[in-house]
Amino acid sequence: MKKLICISIALLTIACSKTEQAKPESLFSIPANFPQPVYDLKKNPISSDGFELGKALFYDGILSKDGTISCAECHSQPYGFTHHGHDLSHGINNLKGVRNSLPLQNLAWESEFFWDGGVGDLDFVPIAPIENPVEMDESTGNVLEKLRKTQRYPPMFKKAFGSEEITGAKFLQALSQFMITLVSANSRYDQYIRNEGEVLTKEELEGMALFRQKCSSCHAGELFTDKSYRNNGLTIQGSMDVGRYRITENDKDKYKFRVPGLRNVAVTLPYMHDGRFYTLEAVLEHYAEGVQNTVNLDPLLNQNGKRGIQLSKEEQSRIIAFLKTLTDETFLKDKRFINQ
Amino acid sequence: MKRHTAFLAYIFFALTFTLTACKKDEVEPVGANDKNNLTLEFDNRAGAQKLALATTSYKNGSGEEFTVTTFNYFISNVALKKSDGTIVKFPNQYFLIRQADEKTLTPVLKDVPAGDYKEITFLIGVDSTKSVSNIAERTGVLDETSYGTDNMYWAWNSGYIFLKFEGTSPVAPANSAGVKAFQLHIGGFGGRTAVTPNNLRTVTLSLPQQATVRKSIAPTIHLVSDITRVFDGVNKISLSATNMVHNPKDASPIADNYKNMFIVDHVHND
Repeated sequence: MKKLICISIALLTIACSKTEQAKPESLFSIPANFPQPVYDLKKNPISSDGFELGKALFYDGILSKDGTISCAECHSQPYGFTHHGHDLSHGINNLKGVRNSLPLQNLAWESEFFWDGGVGDLDFVPIAPIENPVEMDESTGNVLEKLRKTQRYPPMFKKAFGSEEITGAKFLQALSQFMITLVSANSRYDQYIRNEGEVLTKEELEGMALFRQKCSSCHAGELFTDKSYRNNGLTIQGSMDVGRYRITENDKDKYKFRVPGLRNVAVTLPYMHDGRFYTLEAVLEHYAEGVQNTVNLDPLLNQNGKRGIQLSKEEQSRIIAFLKTLTDETFLKDKRFINQ
Repeated sequence: MKRHTAFLAYIFFALTFTLTACKKDEVEPVGANDKNNLTLEFDNRAGAQKLALATTSYKNGSGEEFTVTTFNYFISNVALKKSDGTIVKFPNQYFLIRQADEKTLTPVLKDVPAGDYKEITFLIGVDSTKSVSNIAERTGVLDETSYGTDNMYWAWNSGYIFLKFEGTSPVAPANSAGVKAFQLHIGGFGGRTAVTPNNLRTVTLSLPQQATVRKSIAPTIHLVSDITRVFDGVNKISLSATNMVHNPKDASPIADNYKNMFIVDHVHND
């Protein structure tokens, strides 16, 4: 009897605390098949007002010099928050950058950002595109000045942070609150892995087995990345981008880029740091037949005197079938993230 | 008469000594809990000339003429050594010296414990701990959004620019606006997860006379920094070869030079 009362109390307590936290939980929770997040939510707790402010900023061209380019310009929700149809992302005055915009999803699990890992804390990420002359070409300080002069934003900052004062830290933390809620974890693959009744086809399951055998040493875990920097044997072309070397200036990092996660990969085309491949078929074909022996080629792609990954055409198409199960329609159409 | 003069002279000397001694006794004793401010005065020069922005042409050791349009640097982690060897540290005080803004040239260390100080140490730049700290800690001169057009932060390779030296020189190549400009941006705190070039430099200087902090004495340490030492030090930096530096690796030889650009000229104890 005593035991039962204890359990009841415990359950009640849990129930109570759940109702109290109902709002933040509906904005962010850790999917059952995901590891613990990297981002310290205690230093920037997500509130619905912080989320709304971050979302408003994310969709507002006021962040750019001439008011035309918002974050959403290159990070569009239906395409996994990438720049659809563009190999290299276009910014202000239609100027072209040198890299393909990365999807914005599951950012609370990322430890480093951008293709070269030049930023190590999500809160500092927006400064880079805002101040890049070919992206938004604005000074972050001037963005804050412009926000202070609007009717719209001071009350939103007050609701989110308790005061109308607009500071760089609050501005960036609000953007982080919005970006952290962009969690994609409800693809068919996720539902299958969590035993939620989803069934994968024979081809998809064979593709998953092949993927685990041939791709998962780099695209590891539930986020499909080991977060390392590697040279995957692309021909060196275009801007001759040196990748991670730009940050570390270590010769061993030349032409290495961050291994990207693969969630929603079927809709985040084009692929690679410079967006050179327009289809998943082209990507798989690269790994099977196109790997070049360039400086710092990853040893995993150069084993037993054979470059690339041994994959038949059929195996490639099965892997692609599996990769398509990572598309999360709930996330791509989630109304909470749409600008109203 | 001669004897009389000698006697007078003796009296004179005796008095002088007594007076000097008295004066020494007049220096306020160190109270256990006494504190005061200590000002660091950064007097930027070009060789033996006062540093003027934009208007004046100077010459470096390679014989290259240059003008200075921007000269900024961070000073942090100041520590003062007492005559008895104990060290008083001032963590969490960050100063941005900007030649264009006179009020930044005399930062004040607050609540310095009373004592006789004989040596000063400081870091040129922002230490690695602060360079990776939570955004809520980036206040004042560390607020990345506060710099406007005179940016002291690399957004793409997250970190502060420790020292920024910009100007023009006839030996520099013309930029898109046709100006023969040079930009030397020195940063790099050693990396967050990978080891990257570390351009933090520590300067230690003994004081030519002690700084006597007392309840009623707030000393000023007058430092002179010679901008020509950025070019001419352990490394020879020539503007014809090195005129655009925006990455830590190329910046290291410059940091090795400017580490030695400071001297303590004198100390005011008043």
